[in-house]
Amino acid sequence: MPKCTIDGKEVEFKPGENLITVAKRAGVDIPVFCYHPGLTVVAQCRMCYVEVEKMPKLQTACSTNAAEGMVVKTNSENVKKGRAGTMEFLLLNHPLDCPICDKSGECDLQDNSYGHGSAYMRHSEERRTYVDVDMGPVIEKNMNRCIHCTRCIRFGDEIAGIREMVAVKRGNNVDITTIDGEALKTEYAGNYADICPTGSLTLRDFRFRKRAWMLKKTASICEGCSKGCNIELQHEGNVVYRTIPRENLEVNKYWMCDEGRFNYHYTQDETRVLEPRWNNEKTSWEDSILAVKTALEGKKVLFLVGTDLTLEEMSAIREFTGLYYPGSVLQHFGTPGIETSAQDQPADKILKMTSKTSNLRGAEKLGIVPHNPRVDHDFSAAVVFTGGRAVLPELGHAIQVGVGVFLDKDHQTAKYQHILPGLAYTEKDGTIINHQGKEQKLKRAILPRGRSKSTAEILMLLANKKTKVGVA
Amino acid sequence: MATTGKVLSEKFYTAMKKLEPRYPNKKALILPALHEAQKEHGWLSKETLEDVANYIGVHPAQIREVASFYTMYNLKPVGKMHLKICTNVACCLRGADELMEYAEKKLAIKCGETTPDGRFTLSEEECLGACTTAPAMMANDDYIENLDINSLSDFIEKNKGGQA
Repeated sequence: MPKCTIDGKEVEFKPGENLITVAKRAGVDIPVFCYHPGLTVVAQCRMCYVEVEKMPKLQTACSTNAAEGMVVKTNSENVKKGRAGTMEFLLLNHPLDCPICDKSGECDLQDNSYGHGSAYMRHSEERRTYVDVDMGPVIEKNMNRCIHCTRCIRFGDEIAGIREMVAVKRGNNVDITTIDGEALKTEYAGNYADICPTGSLTLRDFRFRKRAWMLKKTASICEGCSKGCNIELQHEGNVVYRTIPRENLEVNKYWMCDEGRFNYHYTQDETRVLEPRWNNEKTSWEDSILAVKTALEGKKVLFLVGTDLTLEEMSAIREFTGLYYPGSVLQHFGTPGIETSAQDQPADKILKMTSKTSNLRGAEKLGIVPHNPRVDHDFSAAVVFTGGRAVLPELGHAIQVGVGVFLDKDHQTAKYQHILPGLAYTEKDGTIINHQGKEQKLKRAILPRGRSKSTAEILMLLANKKTKVGVA
Repeated sequence: MATTGKVLSEKFYTAMKKLEPRYPNKKALILPALHEAQKEHGWLSKETLEDVANYIGVHPAQIREVASFYTMYNLKPVGKMHLKICTNVACCLRGADELMEYAEKKLAIKCGETTPDGRFTLSEEECLGACTTAPAMMANDDYIENLDINSLSDFIEKNKGGQA
């Protein structure tokens, strides 16, 4: 492999790699605004200046490919001067309203200004201001903070496949906006806020709810569909505040859809069942477990697992049903119309899959068959395990037991004689298999809410011989 | 191309047909296409931009970006007579600011506006390349050079047309 030298270190590179990528490998971070590894290179912001030996002027590292024997300096006096100059230009019209800006703490402009800019500015003229347009429910726009990096325009064009952001007018008056001020249409709009290097595009859902530096971060997997996008759950005080995508070039690259991004809301819904219920009345775990055991005793039971559960949970349920309810049947459910992995196809050209649950492949790996409504009447009782995401099947049984995450508002909880509250995907560890057959790990971000218990714990309670049927 | 757009007439497409061989590819035709399209209604409406985009084969957003970049494309309706007074260095030194002020007063509109009767639109223009004959202005496609208050006043009077 060819080699070049960056700040005195020799680094190998593949032909075609730009200096930012190569420098990163050498442990050198080059400040950038307009450059994003997932988007085309435009070299507009001029922040990534480096000095290349034998080249008379400073070069932008994003648009300069590494070459054999190239000697690059990223911290010479010249480079420092160049970056400070760029920073001063970029901040000419920036309102410097960091104390009231939601991006503060995770802002590229703030970080790079601190690292490479000057604490003083010579500019004392009036700043440029804009009138903002309403960009729809996902993104809040503040054009005064914009530095015209055009990352959002390129994201829409190249990734989301819709050219809805435009740069109109010219020079000092450039306005980054939507066509005729329309609302954003893409289902991937949340990414605009992620890639914006300033506080120009922020997420309405997250705005002013928490400061970025207060959030704890847990690397997990999205349960929105079988894609298995890598995500980071950001939480504080046992409350999840937002979800952002994590880089994984094999699965979701740098992106995620809005459906997955805002999916966590149901786990914190006011109407989520957080205490055991018996005929729609709150009850204790002891009473509840006893009542369920009594209700199921001697019955032919249909066990249904949602394909939104983890591999570990499914396998525990399979073991449990085999041991304690021989003769019962175990089937899976999830997305209506998508029963096998063959039916699970890409729902768009970007990320989304048609299976709206994450672990269909996992259920198939364990040999669990799809739910067949035609056999329902063979059973006198049904136990439904769900992570909250799977669409619950219509069951006609007299005795229905629900285990997992149930919401009063859309799961018709009144139909269930018993509800044993379980954990949502933000509250548990586990493995899920995505559409590529890749095993990925869910990580617990927050503690169980209310009095909910893990599936394993509930199964142990149900299996425990000591909780005798008929003894109060 | 035989098809016509929503708002652009056959004339536009035949004009484009003639121009096509002179340009390396269709994208290079964006500027002449916008000029040609502007001739039809005097300004570029959203629908016009869409037609041009369809013809060129790019997204309307890209056409919008180009059209908003240049001052010679009107994205708002303009009056019958579009006065573009140059206020760049040479003209400014020869009194363009006074001319602008006078025109604003005479027409009772601000720079960038159109008179209520739809006869005049007044706007500011960057350098018209007529520095030797400054101050200059463009009235639609014609150059009026060596202006002073009197000649500007005469010109406006002359073009007020038959008073209704």
